[in-house]
Amino acid sequence: MEAENQTLTTQQSLEIITRMIRQAHGSIKRNSVYLILWGLVIAIANVGMFVLMWISYPRPYLIWLITVPAWILTIYFSYRHGKNSVASSHFDRINACLWYCYGVIIFTIIVFGVKINYQLNPVILLMSAIPAFVSGIIIKFRPLTIGGVLFWIFGIVCFLVDGPWQYLVGAIAVTAGHLVPGLMLRNNPE
Amino acid sequence: MFKDLDPLLHSQLRLAIMSLLISLESAEFTFIKEKTNSTAGNLSVQLDKLSEAGYLMIDKSFRAKKPLTTCRITKKGIKAFEEYVAVLKQYINK
Repeated sequence: MEAENQTLTTQQSLEIITRMIRQAHGSIKRNSVYLILWGLVIAIANVGMFVLMWISYPRPYLIWLITVPAWILTIYFSYRHGKNSVASSHFDRINACLWYCYGVIIFTIIVFGVKINYQLNPVILLMSAIPAFVSGIIIKFRPLTIGGVLFWIFGIVCFLVDGPWQYLVGAIAVTAGHLVPGLMLRNNPE
Repeated sequence: MFKDLDPLLHSQLRLAIMSLLISLESAEFTFIKEKTNSTAGNLSVQLDKLSEAGYLMIDKSFRAKKPLTTCRITKKGIKAFEEYVAVLKQYINK
């Protein structure tokens, strides 16, 4: 793009505008790391919880400690992405804010779990439907949007089952809603 | 009666820069250079022209002791770009 003074035709102007707007779309693949990480960690924690409750282990909730390294990794990945980011779009920001809000709400639900008689799993699954569905639309990635719908369906199923089975439903939901779309996104040629 | 196309935007590289930045919140010099496939010298000159017109805001800072130039489109720039597209539409639909 060197010839600055050449006269542009309307068609050429239009082509430049279209091409550049397309170029502005950042790589969506980087979102996959969080989906894979959290999909895997939450699925393992849920399965672990199911097994530990099944064998009547006295403190099955200790399995959730595996989320601590996941948080550390998340902070590290976000720091690295922020550092290496050379451009940010409005959609990137909306998408990030959506997941931050989700994180804050899930944290609040867990802290006040006693108030809802620890019926955390169905509520968390239903809440998870929103960012997955909307994010899938923002980044135009259908498997994630479908993942959002699956979270809603499994949220309902979770209300209908009791005790340890809720954790098994949770594991299936997070695998279908985060882990699988995350892996598909990572292998997506864009 | 057709309006004239804004001469500042009716140039290959400047139009490419504005089209790129219209969809972004901000972008670094290296990103714009890569996406517009331009040379650093030419890009720098065109960015200055757009900045002098008030279409862009250029922020110069440092990251890890290296100079960092970040550009973002201003409200005036957005308005100028939208007007440019509107006039372009008139020409296409005539």
